[in-house]
Amino acid sequence: MNLKGKWRVGRVVLLAILILAVSLLGFGCVKGLAPIGWSGGKVSDGTLFVGSREGRLVSINLADESRLWGEPLKAVSQPGLFGCSPAMGGGGCGGASSGVAVYGTPVVDGELVYIAGYNGKIYAYNTTSLGIRWVYPRESNLEPFVGGLLASQGKLYIGGDDGKVYALDAATGDSLWEFQTGDKIWGTPAINGDTLYIGSFDKKLYALNAADGSLKWEFTAEGSIIATPLVDNGVIYIGSFDRYMYALNAVDGSLKWKSIGKNWFWAEPVIVNDVLYAPCLDGNVYALKVATGAEVTEYDLNAPVSSRPAVVDSTVIFATRKGVVYSLATGTGEILQLADFEQDIDGPLTVYDGIVYIHTQDKLLQRINAVTGAVLRAVSLESKN
Amino acid sequence: MNPWELIIQQPVINVLIVMSHYLADNFGLAIIALTVIVNLLMLKLTLSQIRSSKAMQDLQPRIAELQKKYGKDKQKLSQEQMRMYKESGVKPAGCAITMIIQMPVWIALYQAIMLALAVAPEGLLNLSKYLYQWPIVYSVLPLNRDFLMLDLAQPNFILAILVGVTMWLQQKMSMTIPSDSKQAQQSQMMLWMMPIMFAFLALSFPSGLALYWVANSVVRVVLQYRVTGWGGIRRKPPEATTDSEKKYLKFDASEMKKSTDDVGADIVISDTDPSKKDAYQPSKMSKTRYQPGKDRAQKRRKK
Repeated sequence: MNLKGKWRVGRVVLLAILILAVSLLGFGCVKGLAPIGWSGGKVSDGTLFVGSREGRLVSINLADESRLWGEPLKAVSQPGLFGCSPAMGGGGCGGASSGVAVYGTPVVDGELVYIAGYNGKIYAYNTTSLGIRWVYPRESNLEPFVGGLLASQGKLYIGGDDGKVYALDAATGDSLWEFQTGDKIWGTPAINGDTLYIGSFDKKLYALNAADGSLKWEFTAEGSIIATPLVDNGVIYIGSFDRYMYALNAVDGSLKWKSIGKNWFWAEPVIVNDVLYAPCLDGNVYALKVATGAEVTEYDLNAPVSSRPAVVDSTVIFATRKGVVYSLATGTGEILQLADFEQDIDGPLTVYDGIVYIHTQDKLLQRINAVTGAVLRAVSLESKN
Repeated sequence: MNPWELIIQQPVINVLIVMSHYLADNFGLAIIALTVIVNLLMLKLTLSQIRSSKAMQDLQPRIAELQKKYGKDKQKLSQEQMRMYKESGVKPAGCAITMIIQMPVWIALYQAIMLALAVAPEGLLNLSKYLYQWPIVYSVLPLNRDFLMLDLAQPNFILAILVGVTMWLQQKMSMTIPSDSKQAQQSQMMLWMMPIMFAFLALSFPSGLALYWVANSVVRVVLQYRVTGWGGIRRKPPEATTDSEKKYLKFDASEMKKSTDDVGADIVISDTDPSKKDAYQPSKMSKTRYQPGKDRAQKRRKK
């Protein structure tokens, strides 16, 4: 082949590479292709634990802001090319995180802190050194974990993408029991006494015996259940994909009332002074009477709310998916915009000592003084910073 | 939502979800069905595109003649080419315009599939903003991603191979191998490059997208078959010739006449009224037909 011929062949190859690059860029335009994670924070003894978007457990001493990072979670081997597999945080596709996505908020039990990763593993760390104490399962990987862990009386509970509810020994990571539901579980379980409550994609809310995982009762909604149940005063409040917020009797799962929104109830609601504040993906917060479900009022926040609100005294703090943070004075009904971080907020808000901590998508932990409304300096969760 | 999302993406997503519900909660069937429906809706445009490109291919020998004849006079060459296109009823830009019109539809379909698949949890959250207030839409979600023992959210090797094979078949049927060895080499390269590239892409993305590519290629193969038959699959590639070899080719006037007549006979232009008097007819070719006696190159060869 002469020089001209080679040049022509080169042009064809160049064209192919160009098409490939444009295609990859085009695919990136669809948001939500790769898992990123939205872990919230958990405070214990003045230290905040959070799963970073690098796929690491980070501990922050709230007194001096010193930080410590755990070992990065190990990704599952990639079935796809270009690091775009849904199995991990991807690499360069659709704003993926650089490590394993962590969705669940860490939980602390004694001297151990636990997180579950999208790589299908559960990790136990020492709270002071962040050294790994145990991993479950030890060898292989389960299906991804999107829901968070629940620690209670020396046991850990979690639901997985494989539709199973797992109960582990918190000290050793040994499996105690498993319960199979009909579809994926993305919600975090809740516990009341000896009963564990967890929702599933199979449209059911399950009440399980926390001791052995036996089924006590189940409630079937018209849509999938992803939200975390709120148990208060013998009543379970749970949102569903059928756009209803349900109130169920905790004893037998019978329906007390239900109230409809205009989109999914994704986030867990909160209760202040006998009023349930239920954030919805339609951009409204519905204020409902806990006794009857009658609507007191609704607050338009102009953007979907997927993060669990935080309660400080009688004030409720909401964050929209667009990054705007509002405070609602429940006594007066006055709503104020506190900050606009211009970053996606999907994870739950954390309150400690009057400060609200918000994990934003730019790998920062934003802080707002809930009393004065002042925005404090953010803390970076990136290990290289 | 921006106008693109509101007018294009949102309706396609909701239709896809509803179709999934009515097709036994099977998202794979919904992808195939919607791909076929969209192809049927754009059938006229697609057929026009296939016919135009075929007509353009069939005119290639005559364009080569013109290039030989008016190679140095670019303006005259351009005029003659345009005249020939006009006589033949071929619109050179028509093929590209048709593709440009179709492109947004394909992009919307691709985006709708990726959004509805909601591979990552963030995807499902994003999907919520596109939903209409139809109870049926809410009851179906999240969609069942199992299809023929495949998880449509995960890449699949077999589907990636199918993407490559069907795309190659479609390209092979529609392509004409030019007599110029360099052009032929380029065509051959593109024939393999694109299917291989898409097969690799299919290995990297959810197989729901690969299923859409396969379904689309199969529909296009059927349409191509309807217009051109097996086309490039049956056609024997001409023996590659270099420029130097071409100078000594023996010219066969009767063969050339046959081939040009065939060109005229093959052309079927959908957007030209066949009853038009000025439409291209093989019998009116005398003005522009290749005439061996007047060919300068032929004379040069004799010398």
